[in-house]
Amino acid sequence: MASRRLFLAGMAGALAAPSIARASGSMTAAIYPGTWDEAYREIVAPLLRQRHNVGVSFDPLFAVDQVAKVRAARGVSPFDCFVLDPGPAAAARQAGLFEPIDRRLISNAAKLPDGMLTADAATVNVQVVGICYNPKKFPEPPKSWTDLFRSPYVERLGLTGFQTTFGTVSLIEMAKAFGGSVDNIEPIFAKLREALPKVAAVATPAALPGLFQQGQIDIMYTNTNNAATLKARGVDIAFIAPTEGAITFATTLHIVKGAENKANAHRYIDVALSAEAQSKLQLSPYNMIPVNKDVQLTPNLDIKSLDELSKMVTHDWSVINPRRAAWIDRFNREITK
Amino acid sequence: MRTAAVDWRLAAPLGIVYLALFAAPLLLLLGISLHSDQDLQQWGVDNWVKFWSDAFYRGVVWDTLRLGLAAVLATSLFAWPLAVFFCASSARTQKILLFIILLPLLTSVVIRTFAWIVILAREGLINQAVLALGLSATPLRLLQTETGLILALMQIEMPLMLLPLISVMRGLDPNLLDASRALGAGHWRSFFRVILPLSLPGWIAGATLVFASACTAFISQSVIGGARLVYLPSLIWQQAMVVYDWPFAAVCSVTLLFTVLAGVMMLNWLGRYARTD
Repeated sequence: MASRRLFLAGMAGALAAPSIARASGSMTAAIYPGTWDEAYREIVAPLLRQRHNVGVSFDPLFAVDQVAKVRAARGVSPFDCFVLDPGPAAAARQAGLFEPIDRRLISNAAKLPDGMLTADAATVNVQVVGICYNPKKFPEPPKSWTDLFRSPYVERLGLTGFQTTFGTVSLIEMAKAFGGSVDNIEPIFAKLREALPKVAAVATPAALPGLFQQGQIDIMYTNTNNAATLKARGVDIAFIAPTEGAITFATTLHIVKGAENKANAHRYIDVALSAEAQSKLQLSPYNMIPVNKDVQLTPNLDIKSLDELSKMVTHDWSVINPRRAAWIDRFNREITK
Repeated sequence: MRTAAVDWRLAAPLGIVYLALFAAPLLLLLGISLHSDQDLQQWGVDNWVKFWSDAFYRGVVWDTLRLGLAAVLATSLFAWPLAVFFCASSARTQKILLFIILLPLLTSVVIRTFAWIVILAREGLINQAVLALGLSATPLRLLQTETGLILALMQIEMPLMLLPLISVMRGLDPNLLDASRALGAGHWRSFFRVILPLSLPGWIAGATLVFASACTAFISQSVIGGARLVYLPSLIWQQAMVVYDWPFAAVCSVTLLFTVLAGVMMLNWLGRYARTD
C-alpha cells in the first residue's frame, strides 16, 4: 500500500516537472534539427539569457513536424515559436496557427529591410538559390538555367526534385526559362525526361553535398549555405547566380497561436534579429545570410549587400502548395527506372 | 492450475505495455489509412483504392520486396562460406573473425552508408582501381544503381545473417562431417547434403532479419539508391513529411508492414517445413 502511494507521488511529481521548468523566464522554441539547432543553442540562447534572463529550451523538429504537432495539440501549444520555410509557413497561416507579432516589442524592427517583419512573421534569415559548379572541372561555368541541360554540363549535373524548398523553386524557374510558368510546369518535365539518361545523378536533396564532394557530380542547383559549407571543407565549389536571376526565400519565425509565453517569444525573436546574433550566425559553419542592416556581410556568403535581395526572384507559396503534391507524384513516376 | 494463474499475471505488465505502445499506434495507423481526406474528417477506402489500383505503386511494393530478396541472396552467398571457414578455424582466429564480423555493427548505419558513397562514387575506390588496371576506359556507374545498393546492403546487413548462422553451425556435431567423408562424399556433397540442411534454422533466422532490415533500409535506399529508385520507405517519408498526405502515407506504411510480415512468415513456414522434413 505504502509503495503504491510512493509510486503515485512519484508519478505526480513527474507530471508536474514540465510545468515547473516552464515557469516565468522561460519559453520553448521549435528549431530545425542539425545546423539550426546547434547555431541557436550556441548563439541565440546565451544572448537571450544574458539580455532578458529568459531560458529557452529547443524542440528540434522539421517544418512539417512543427505544423503537425501544433495541429495535433488542438489549441494547447506544445511550443511558443515556429521556425518555418515559406511552404509550411503558408500552410500554417492558412490553418490559422499564428499569433500576431507586436511590432512595438521588436526593437530591431527598423533595422530590417522592408517587408521582412509582417503582422505574423519575422524573417530571420534568407536563403539564396542558384547554380553551384566545380571551377576546376568547368573554367567556363553554366550561366543560365537552360545551360544546365546542355552538354557538357548536363552530363555532370546532379538533379533533385520537389521535396525541398530550394529544389521546388529551382525547377519552377527552369520551367519558366523553357517557356513555362507555375501553372504550366510541363516544359521542365519534358527537359527532365530528355536529360535523364545523361545526368550524373538524380539524388535525394540530403545526398547532394556528399555526391558533389566525392566528384560524382560537378554541377547542382542549391543554396549558398550548402556552397559555403562545402567550401569550408576544402571542396572546389563556386556559386553563380543564373542570368535569369538568383532565387531568394525567407526562413521566418512565428509565434504559435495560443502560446503560453508570448512576451518571451517576442524577446526571442528580437534577440534572433539583433546585429550581435546575426553577425555570428553568418559565420562558418552556419553560413546564414543575415537580415539586419547593421551587420557587415562576410565574403563567404556570395552576396555583397542586402539590397541585392530585392532584385532576386521570389515565389508565392500559397500558389505552389496546392500544386506541389502532384508535381512530386509526377517526378516520382517519370524519373523512376 | 495455480501456476497457470501466476504465469498469466506475471506476463500482464509487459502484455499491457505492448498493447498500449505497440498495438494501439498500429490501430491508429490503420484508422488514419481509412480516411479519404488529408484533414482526417471523412472515412473511406479511397486511399487504399488509389494505391492498389495504380501500377506505379504496385511496382514500388514489388521493387521493395525484390530488394529484400536480393539482399538475402547476396548475404547468403557470402555468409555460408564464411561461416564454414569460421567453424573450421582455431579459437584464436575465431575471436579475430568475430571482431571483424561485429565491426560494422559498431558504427552507425548512416556512417556505413556514406562510406559506401566513397567506395562506389565516380572517383571512388572501385572506379580508381578499375581505371588503374585498365579494365574500363570510363568510370563505371555504381552509385544510384540497384547493383550498387545491393552491394552496400550486403555489407551493411551481413552481421545479421552471419551471427545466427554461426551460432547454429557451431552446435553441429563435427563427427557428422567426418562420417559424411568416410562414406565417400566429397567437400561439395558434404556441404550440400549435411551442413546446408542442418544449418537451415540459422539461415532462416538470418534471412528473416536481413529481409526485414533491407526492405526498410530508408537511409541506404535513399542515399545509395538515389531518387530514381523508389522504395516504400522513401515513399512513406515523402507522403508524410513533404506532401503531408497522412492517410496515403498510412496506406503505404500498413502495406510495407504487412508485405514484409508476409515475407517473414513465409520464411518461418519454410523453417517448420525444413525441420520436419
